[in-house]
Parts: sequence; C-alpha cells; structure tokens
Amino acid sequence: MAQYALVVLVAVSLNFAIPRLAPGTPIDYLVPSEQVATITPEQRERVLAQFGLEKPLAEQYWLYLTGIFQGDLGYSTQQGRPVVDMLLERLPWTLVLVRGAITLSLIIGAGAGFLSAARRGGRMEVGGLAFFMFLDSMPPFWIGMLLLVLFSGYLNLLPVFGALPLTGAGGGFGLTFEVAQRLVLPLLTLTLVRAGWLFLVARSSLAGELSEDYIVMAEAKGLSRRRVVLGHGVRNALLPLMTAVAVEAGTVVGGATVVETVFSYPGLGRLIYESVLSRDYPVLQGAFLLLAVGVIAANFLADLLYPIIDPRTRTADVR
Amino acid sequence: MSGALLGRIGAATLTLFVVAAVFAPVLAPYDPTLRTAQPFESPSLAHPLGANDVGQDILSELIFASRLSLTVGIVTACLATVLGVTVGVVSGYLRGPVDGVLMRGVDVILSLPFLPLMIVLTAFLGQNTTNLILVIGLLIWARPARLLRSQVLSVRESGHVQAARAMGATHGYIMVRHILPRITPLVAAQFVRTANVSIMLEASLAFLGLSDPFQKSWGAILFYANARSAFLADAWLWWVLPPGLCIAAVVVSFAFLGYALEERVDPRLRSTRPEGETLKDAETPAPVGGGALQ
Repeated sequence: MAQYALVVLVAVSLNFAIPRLAPGTPIDYLVPSEQVATITPEQRERVLAQFGLEKPLAEQYWLYLTGIFQGDLGYSTQQGRPVVDMLLERLPWTLVLVRGAITLSLIIGAGAGFLSAARRGGRMEVGGLAFFMFLDSMPPFWIGMLLLVLFSGYLNLLPVFGALPLTGAGGGFGLTFEVAQRLVLPLLTLTLVRAGWLFLVARSSLAGELSEDYIVMAEAKGLSRRRVVLGHGVRNALLPLMTAVAVEAGTVVGGATVVETVFSYPGLGRLIYESVLSRDYPVLQGAFLLLAVGVIAANFLADLLYPIIDPRTRTADVR
Repeated sequence: MSGALLGRIGAATLTLFVVAAVFAPVLAPYDPTLRTAQPFESPSLAHPLGANDVGQDILSELIFASRLSLTVGIVTACLATVLGVTVGVVSGYLRGPVDGVLMRGVDVILSLPFLPLMIVLTAFLGQNTTNLILVIGLLIWARPARLLRSQVLSVRESGHVQAARAMGATHGYIMVRHILPRITPLVAAQFVRTANVSIMLEASLAFLGLSDPFQKSWGAILFYANARSAFLADAWLWWVLPPGLCIAAVVVSFAFLGYALEERVDPRLRSTRPEGETLKDAETPAPVGGGALQ
C-alpha cells in the first residue's frame, strides 16, 4: 500500500517539477503558446499572482498537492476550461478501449501461447513463434493505419473517424450500434498488438511449468495429457501471466495513446496528442497524471488478487 | 535449434540496416531534405517510392531515417545497460538496505506509464535527439536492473564467490571479476531487448509529432502521412507501408537476436526439454518481442 502511495507521490512530484526544470519559466507553459512572445510585463505579473508562482517553492508545492487532492488540475490554455472536466469527458472512451483490448488479447494471445507451449517441437512452433514475435514488433499506430486502409479504404465497411457519428443517430440501439462500429478498429488494433506480447509470455510461462517435476508426477499417475496441461500446467502458469498483465498496464495505455491518435478516437490518448500539437501543457500534464494513477491502481488491484488466485502467496508476500 | 535460426535471421537483417545507415549518402538517390519531386508524386523510375507532401523523395527519407533509429536504439541501450548492470549487481550483491532502496526505486519507475511520461518530458524539455536518448535511457534501465539482480542473488552464493570472499577479496573486486562474467550472457540479452524497446518508443514519439524536426525518422514520416490522411488514397502503398515495415523489421530482428541469446541462457525456452536441468528461481518469464512501448 505504502509502495503505491509512494509511486503516486512520485508521479505528482514529477508533474510539479517538470515545468520548473524545463527551459524558460513556468509562465511560458501557462499562457496560450501563440501569446508567449507578445505578453506584457503587467500581464506576466498577473498570471504569476494567479497561479501563486511568486511564492517560495515549498509553498507552491504544498498548494499544488492540496489542489490536486481537491481535483484542481488547472485550466486548459487553449480552451480555458478546467483540465479535470476535459479529462473526465475522455476517460470513459479510453476505459472501454483498454479494458476490451486487455480481455480480448488475453483470450487470443494467451490461448495461442498456451497451445504452442503444450505442443513443443511441433511443426507449427517456429512459424507461430516468428508470427507472434512479428506481431509484437509492429508499431501499433502502423497496424492501425493499415487496418484503416483495408476496412475503410478498400472494403468500405467501417467508419473512419471518431467514436460518435457526426450527424446525430438518435439514441438507443441506433447510437449503440454506431458507437460499437467505431470501436471495432481501434479495439482490433490494440488487441493484435497486445496478443503478440501475451503469446510470448504465456508460452514461456507454461513451458516453464511443464518442465517441473510435478508434471512428471501427474503424467506418471496416468492422467490424460489434457488434464496434465490444463489442470496442472496452465493453472500454475496463470499467475505469472496475471503479474505480467498488471505490470504492463502502462504499456497498454501507451499503445492506446497512439492507436487513439490514428483513429481520432476521443480518449485520453487523443487528448494527449491534441495538447502536444497545440502546446496545451496543463492538459498534457493532467492526462499523464490520470493515466499514471490508473496504471498504479491496476498494479495495486493485481496485488490484492494474487492471494485469491495462488494460495502460496497468501502468507509469504503480503506486505 | 529454432532460436539459433531466428538469431541468424535477426543478425543478417540488422547488418543490412547498419549498412544502409552507414552508407546513406551513397545509397540514397536524393538529399531527403530537399524538394526533388512534385508533392504527392506517385512512384516512378526516378522516385521508386514517390514523394511526400512537400516533394521529398520517400526512399531517400527511409534510408537516412535508419541512422536515427539505429543510433537511438544502440546509444540508449548502452546507457540503460550500464545503469541496469550497475544497479542490478550492486543491489543483488550487497543486499540489505542498499538493495531495499534501489529496488524500491526500480519498482517506482516500473509502475509509471512510460510513453505518456516521455511525451510530457520531451514536450517540456525540447525535441532533440539527445533529450530523446536521455529520456528513454533513464526510464528503461529499471527492467534489466531487476532481472539482473535476481541472477546476481544466485551467483553470489556459488562456490567461487564464497571462496573469493573467504580469501579477503574486496566487494568491488568480486563484483567485477566474479559476478560480472557470470551474468554476461544475460546482460547481452538485456542489451538487445532495451535496444528493441527504445527503437519502438522513438518511433511512437515521432509518430506523435515529438521527434527532432531536423532529423528524418520512420515515425516522423508516418506522422506526416497520418496528418495528410495518406491512408485514404493509394499513397499508403509507398508512404505508409515502407516506414512501418522498416520499424517492424529492425525491432523483430532485435527480438530474434534477443531470443537466441536468451535461449542460451535459459534452457527452459529450448525446444527440447533439457536433461535433468531445471531453472528454479528464474523470474517471471521475460517476453522477448518489442514489448511495444514499455
């Protein structure tokens, strides 16, 4: 628990420190980028006072911390809206995408990985391995662009842009269908990217378990190959897989960032891209903080789940 | 022997790219920073991959961009490996409070989402290659450090280390002369993996428009292609496909190479079951691929 509180504090402190360590003064990052050059000294004073930037550093830090816990992440320099509002608007889209991709890639990637490990030395092994390694090595945004070419350019099957129809589709089922249609490609992209990686983890995890003595024992007892692999091997191989999925939660979020950008999908990742282009620093920082907290929460949840899945960790590792 | 085969394929492909990077000025038909064709020109004999939105030759861009990717990959991997080895060896060998503090630091770094953090850092610190290498390198050393530490923990209990300690060797001497040689294969594998990860991160940052504007990069080519919606016209064939293939080819080559190295270190990965040998205290199996955007 303390571990996770520490990480959150580090993320928050980084956020505080970065604009103060960057070239220029924090004020350069608080006014709209096109006005930085033309701002008058009086206006400069006013912005400084407004954000408490003339106070000592320690006090600024304290104000920053208390502000964050009250949900104050500052204001967008481009839109003038509170950053928190903008983030909360985008968060559900990213959650849908990321959760969907994790679930689907687990089913596909881990399934194939376990299969590959269970059939060691088969003809398909090297081919499958190379295929999934290649899948894991393709840039997510590139996969997304190619899927766009295929499904929207050539087959003309799916809409290209955003998450909501530009013209209102009414409500109820029609809207659900429109939204689902626009989710297909980003979801497919992120799933493919993650499936390659999960294949590799699942494969080496099960391969490790299958070389243990208890497997020999299970075989000696005369259990069917199926029971040995599924009931003994896979069961034990699931824990490292779970750990890996939790530890890599940040990676999925990173993938979502670029995939959302390709599809103009209105999640947090796309917001990051937009604020990079318009140099909207407060929004950029807010989005990072929210993603960081999300990833840390995922890790924390996984930690809570271990003892339920694996009894061996119940006494030993609980901090 | 699947690993050895993959390793050889990886090494061959990488050699190809290194040659392209080194001899870029000779191999590239044009200067990729100059306007040598009509904007959006389709492929022709003079421009095999056509031209981009400002009339630069895409083939020449690709060839020159291999310089950036390979430089970022290798320099960052050096930086991250040095940091990772130092922290891993010191932490695993000394144990106690030093280990506690260092590993806590590693845990903290590993629980941050790398790509968003790098976006924030490069947006603030300025977009140039040096910053890019520093930012990536200072984040990705944590994973190798943790892996190497667990290896060091078992090496330090082995007979020759105990003997050296009994004979009064200093900690520094033991770490350099006895621990380091034993973990070298794993270090090599980790070096390849970090190179892999950093190339993918560089490409992603460039795709988001955060690359050095004065350097050609495969990710940046895709950034412009995406901004101009190249994938909605035929241009995807020569503007979108080739740069992505280059990224994927380099990353997968590093992955193959890393897999071959890891297979030699960790017999569990071998296709045939090793005889009477099990590695008990290996960590969570390390995935080998690009591990996109770690």
